[in-house]
Amino acid sequence: MFKLILSNLRQRPTRTLVSVIAVALGVALLLVSMGLSYGQLVDTVRRAQGIGGDFILQPSEASVIFALNSGTIPVRVQKVIEEVEGVEAATPILAKFLGDQFHIVFGIDPESFGRVNSTLSFVEGGRFSEPREVIIDTIYANSKKMKAQDPLQILGHEFTVSGVFREGIGARVLLPLTTLQELNGTPDKATMFFIRAKEEVALEQVYESLQERFENYKITKTAELQEIMMDSTPVFKEFVTAMVFISVTISFLIILLAMYSTITERTREIGILKSLGASKSYIVRLILNESLLICAVGVGLGFLATFVVIELLMAAFPTLPVAISLFWRVTAAAMAVTGGTLGALYPAVKAAGMDPVKALGYE
Amino acid sequence: MSEMIGMTRRKDVVVVEDLQMVYRVSKLEVPALRGVDFTVKEGEFVAVIGPSGCGKSTLLHLIGGLLKPTSGRILIEGVSISSVSDFERTEIRRQRMGFVFQSYNLLNTLTARENIALAKRIQGNGHYEDGSAHQILRMLGLENKMDHKPWELSGGEQQRVAIARAVINRPAILLADEPTGSLDSENSRMVLNMLRELNSVYGQTIIIITHDPEAAATADRVIEMRDGKILNRVQNMFYAMEEKRS
Repeated sequence: MFKLILSNLRQRPTRTLVSVIAVALGVALLLVSMGLSYGQLVDTVRRAQGIGGDFILQPSEASVIFALNSGTIPVRVQKVIEEVEGVEAATPILAKFLGDQFHIVFGIDPESFGRVNSTLSFVEGGRFSEPREVIIDTIYANSKKMKAQDPLQILGHEFTVSGVFREGIGARVLLPLTTLQELNGTPDKATMFFIRAKEEVALEQVYESLQERFENYKITKTAELQEIMMDSTPVFKEFVTAMVFISVTISFLIILLAMYSTITERTREIGILKSLGASKSYIVRLILNESLLICAVGVGLGFLATFVVIELLMAAFPTLPVAISLFWRVTAAAMAVTGGTLGALYPAVKAAGMDPVKALGYE
Repeated sequence: MSEMIGMTRRKDVVVVEDLQMVYRVSKLEVPALRGVDFTVKEGEFVAVIGPSGCGKSTLLHLIGGLLKPTSGRILIEGVSISSVSDFERTEIRRQRMGFVFQSYNLLNTLTARENIALAKRIQGNGHYEDGSAHQILRMLGLENKMDHKPWELSGGEQQRVAIARAVINRPAILLADEPTGSLDSENSRMVLNMLRELNSVYGQTIIIITHDPEAAATADRVIEMRDGKILNRVQNMFYAMEEKRS
């Protein structure tokens, strides 16, 4: 059967190629879009967790998408947080989304930030000591080809890069909290607080104490940030569903079209197979296996196309985070195969049900 | 169902009883067969002749289980294929029948070898490379053409591949629909000789539909049809020979 399938596909190379490319397109579309959206989300979570806090305190209506919030919590809340039993340290952070550069900057208080975070390390230069100094991470520095002491424009003001830190902590650009408050027009305000619990105290206990003390605020465990972000990111789930649907639909329609036209062209061949005693299930398997082979090659090509597109995107936008998990690879392959199989099912059943005499007489 | 001739017991391979076939085209009923009865015995070579539209091909398709009759009965080795399910009819076709068509009906995407192997695989016998297959291929003069695609073969060669494909599973009956209809006289003769040889050497039961008097003359018995009925049995060399032997 495999030889027959292979020879049929070789006999119609253009249609086979178009079908394979279409399946690959569906796979690549799903993987690239998921890779970019999940990449952004996973990267945000990783860097938030990189700050080192165990909890994030925000106003009750705030989003865990930091870029969507402005600074509304008074900085003096820090002292109240640190008075809660089991809290080691708290640090205020003002997040500001730079629309023109499409990334977020954090305003940090170096002293308290240092008490919450213990992993900030520099590959070049050091912490800022002046209001108009910033520190940037290695990815930002590499993508902008910047180094310590280089000038950097933020919100229409010129800063000097005082140091380049290893990426994975907070934002790609960190600047003094007071400076960002001033530029943002929100003096003494923070977007959120990162809170570190004492090591000897159980996190759950600290969490309950914080919730009790700040009942009108939202307390998020940083360990659960990814799950919470997926649930609360606007239209994220709808976007994922739409992407999966589009991917399946592309495979379904293309395979349906290809297989439908192929069985029409091969009506006589189906009649011959029936005259040889091929059962209905044999004909169905023949058509389904043919579509499976197209889908399998399409999935492989889709993976390759995804790799190429991601490499090109990374070369063009080095700060772009991309995360294509095994789950999404398997999902993309499964969706392509499901769409292809569903698309081939109707033509396969139609072929199996053909009247052999009419099929043999088909010209 | 069977007949004692001396010590030889010849089975009835095909028994057709009061076979009727009516095609329905919209609300119009077109009778193709109007009560056909005949029997074909094991090892018999029968030719069915008659003008176009007399019901020859319909008869062949009914015997081959490709069609279901409107009424009447067809027994293949004692099994009524007119009353079994589609699945069972397919099974009988796969295990007990071989078809040869006027237009060869080889799969163009496969080589001669692969076309023959396909019939073997569909029957569930795996590879065709066994001794008997080689004998048949040698007899059909196809040994050097096995890796050619159908379009690389002459009409005669294609029909020989089609015959090899039809008999490779050693079917109980070989059904041939105008097997020489598309061939020149030389190739026709060659194909007919091969059918004759298959019949005489291997005892292959053969029913052919033909317009060709030469093809009809190759058969042991000729059944003439007109307007969906059997007119007469023009010749019955088979019975004559059996009677002579007995």
